[in-house]
Amino acid sequence: MMNFSEKEIRIFNRISLVAGIFTVVIAITMLFSLLQLMTINPLDTPALQSVKAQFDNNPDSKELAEQVRAVDLMSRKAYFSSRWQVETGSYLLLAGAVIFVLFQRLVAGSGKPARSLQPDRPDIASEKTRNRKYLIISAAAVTVLAIVSSFVLRSGLPAPGRASVGDERTGQKLAESASVELSDVNYPFFRGEGSRGIAGGEGYPTEWNGPEGKNIKWKTRIPKMGKNSPVIWGEKLFLTGAGDGKLEIYCLDKNTGEILWTSSGTDFPGASPEEPESDPEAGMAVPTAAVTENAVCAIFGNGNLVCYDHDGKLKWGKNLGVPENIYGFTSSILIYKKVVLVQYDGQNKFSISGYDLETGDLKWETPRSGRLVNSSPVLAIFDGEPQVLINGNPNVTSYDPVSGKELWSLPGVSGDIAPSVGVNSKMVFTGVDYYSVVALKPGKNGSVIWSDNTFTPEVASPVANDECLFVATGYGDVACYNTETGDTLWSHYFKESFYASPIICDNKVWLLDRLGTMHIVDANSKLNIISSSPLGEHTDCTPAFSEKQIFIRGRENLYCISAN
Amino acid sequence: MKKLKKFNKYIPYIVLGLLLIWHSVLYAQEQRFPRPEFEGDYTFPTHQFLNQRGPMWEYMDVAVLIGALTVASWLALKKRSRQGLIWVSLFSLAYFGFYRQGCICAVGSVQNMSLALFNESYAMPLPALLFFTIPLLFALLSGRVFCAGVCPLGAIQELTGFRKVRVPKNLERVLAMIPFVYLGLAVLFAATESQFLICRYDPFVGIFRIDAPYTMIIFGALLLLVGIFVNRPYCRYLCPYGVLQNIFSRFSVKHLTITPAECRNCRLCESGCPYDAILQSDPVKDREIAEKKWKGSLPYLLMIPVLAAAFAVLLYNLAPALSGVNDNVKLAREIRLEKEQGIKAVSKASVAYYESGRTESELFEQEQQIIGRFRKGAPWAGIFLGLSLGIGFFRLTVRDIRTDYEPDRGRCYSCGKCFKFCPVKINN
Repeated sequence: MMNFSEKEIRIFNRISLVAGIFTVVIAITMLFSLLQLMTINPLDTPALQSVKAQFDNNPDSKELAEQVRAVDLMSRKAYFSSRWQVETGSYLLLAGAVIFVLFQRLVAGSGKPARSLQPDRPDIASEKTRNRKYLIISAAAVTVLAIVSSFVLRSGLPAPGRASVGDERTGQKLAESASVELSDVNYPFFRGEGSRGIAGGEGYPTEWNGPEGKNIKWKTRIPKMGKNSPVIWGEKLFLTGAGDGKLEIYCLDKNTGEILWTSSGTDFPGASPEEPESDPEAGMAVPTAAVTENAVCAIFGNGNLVCYDHDGKLKWGKNLGVPENIYGFTSSILIYKKVVLVQYDGQNKFSISGYDLETGDLKWETPRSGRLVNSSPVLAIFDGEPQVLINGNPNVTSYDPVSGKELWSLPGVSGDIAPSVGVNSKMVFTGVDYYSVVALKPGKNGSVIWSDNTFTPEVASPVANDECLFVATGYGDVACYNTETGDTLWSHYFKESFYASPIICDNKVWLLDRLGTMHIVDANSKLNIISSSPLGEHTDCTPAFSEKQIFIRGRENLYCISAN
Repeated sequence: MKKLKKFNKYIPYIVLGLLLIWHSVLYAQEQRFPRPEFEGDYTFPTHQFLNQRGPMWEYMDVAVLIGALTVASWLALKKRSRQGLIWVSLFSLAYFGFYRQGCICAVGSVQNMSLALFNESYAMPLPALLFFTIPLLFALLSGRVFCAGVCPLGAIQELTGFRKVRVPKNLERVLAMIPFVYLGLAVLFAATESQFLICRYDPFVGIFRIDAPYTMIIFGALLLLVGIFVNRPYCRYLCPYGVLQNIFSRFSVKHLTITPAECRNCRLCESGCPYDAILQSDPVKDREIAEKKWKGSLPYLLMIPVLAAAFAVLLYNLAPALSGVNDNVKLAREIRLEKEQGIKAVSKASVAYYESGRTESELFEQEQQIIGRFRKGAPWAGIFLGLSLGIGFFRLTVRDIRTDYEPDRGRCYSCGKCFKFCPVKINN
């Protein structure tokens, strides 16, 4: 036993006390730092968000870009400094504890063992009585708890599969909301009215043969190449094409296939003559034109946006800036209440903007976040509210088509996104290859309902009715999902890949593969292949439907298919 | 020289301090910048995993365990050397704690054992099985010598507990029930493949490893500070393996004694045990009561099955709530909440689930299966708790008559702290 003087013991006690206080202070500081670390995300700081927002509004400003970098670096530094402090603090804490322990040990070891007497053992009788009492009390208490728990702790868990029940309520409500009205004459946008992949009318031919001319009403060679689809208003059909440094818009008589007029996509002041680098397979005329009663608008791969009347007279034209996009600019446009809606995806800028149909003036522009995509906007109505949906990366986002205000944004898919969203009366569907198909309940309080990665689209957009979601893949499979649960109802391998988006029309799904064969199946949960009809020409373009006639654009020709 | 010899007593503590400092230096060198999240197309290099320790080293651990247990038994039972046990503690702390970083560990092996018992697909590694059984065999032979100085968790507390604050007896009894509950739940969670609770909340592994969460380091450091006054708080009020040691040690062939010869009932050792594990001898007047009056206590035996049944029902009812510790159940509940209340998925698990492409029906089905397993296992955990509590209380109603002061074989850690309080010495 080491003996220390009283003075030494006093010093030890003081050192120990200081170490103890130090340890407690460090522990409290660390707890605060920990709480801070747990609640703060360095990339969500208001300062960073603020400069990012400024940069989004002014993406060309190098000064702002530098500022974003500086604030970002500062936020990260601050975060990692806090981490370092906590990590170092934990060892300061240990060091303090060690000093405290050692000096307490010295103080404790300097004295003789304290010997104190315990009170006498309680007498046997009273100890027994007390312990028996404890035994009975515990048994009674636990029994009461067990009985009470049997009544109170009933399992509130639903049976498996109940998950979809919750949505029936919402679904019913949403189903009551008006969807976009369908016409059997006009087919104004890419994938039809609202760009939803649903066409009006009935009695369309289900069998034809391009090489043999069976049910081919007419066939017209389109002067320049284009991956865009035909759009129709009344008796007129519109297409675009590009090649040899020219961008063109074609107006055809839908009944005869005669080209009524050809207009230029570059013949206006400020037009860009530039042809940006892009996938040669895509070209400069991928976006589909949009048509209304008295105007047809088209956008090209160099950002030229033009608007003509139905007689081929230029209303206005402007260049939106040449988009830098490795796959080329591909987003088709929409027109909603005299506003041309343009989804712009380039390395230089992501946005959605609205232009006055009559003048071409910019009415609004909303910057978007995420990564660039090659999808097209879709117009839908949920809860009576018209909205433009963009299949973005990584979110599906909804905007007000009148003001451009973002309405909601939900997690969607990531990757090289070419497909647009599919919608029915209550849900939104997105998907892309190497990721999954995701079903969303739209709205501010929306959520992901289900997802599945068995069948995913490469280019073709999914299409849905209230019961089924149809997905045509890039590897030749077509799958039908239950829209509510995500269960695969059927799938079929059609051998050829699909780039053209499937269309639901006349209770059938029209699936056009890249070889030009149209596969027609019932638009329901049972697989029934009605027919497969060859066009005799490769095609990647989505067909158009109008008055019992189907219009398909092949690599070189436009076909009108009609039973009459 | 004499003074220097006396200073030997403090050498283990100096070594302990050096160990911690050395460890802190290692930590400082290991500090790394966390992996950044690039948004571009940067491809992360593939993970390089260190080669697993060869089997020979694992059996080396087993050999060290047996060696340490043998030495600790000899020191506690034969040599009666408290100082020797402190050195064993220091060695175990350095080897099993800092060097092996708290793994493999007999305390955690309880979970491997239960997982192996209830899951055919899991083959328990032999070293883990040996780490589970060998300390229990030694408990049967010579008491809780494992706790005395071989367990690194016990060792770190033993080396830092030198003030003595007595916990009131009734509070001590209530707190001493916690390890039984902890053991029951740990076995249940491991058997249902939900969680290794003991490892997750091991308070000292944060100190043994250099990359443990800070919360664990804070918890461990604070527990050590408390342990200076209320000695071995983890062993007494939490350790689930201690429950098994407690049971096995009660049937030990030999056990440490307070006195090396005949007890003189001098009462000097009464305050010698900080764990209140010394059983007092009965006053002479009580010793005259020849009959133990077992008959009077027999009706109370009936309370044991009542307690077991009540606990079984209680835990059965709690099973769905308990199943919330399972990650899949937690995720299913989160997804359901998101859907029903329209809350956006925020947790990493939820985001990962959506990215994985699993269907909800699969997830909810799995949730039900896990709850089913909890429903099956929870009553057994309840029966264990009921029996433990019932037998514990019943034992107190049939007190043995004691003529000597002796250690409570279940609760005594064989640490030898009581040796110095006994005035009886043997002349060689």
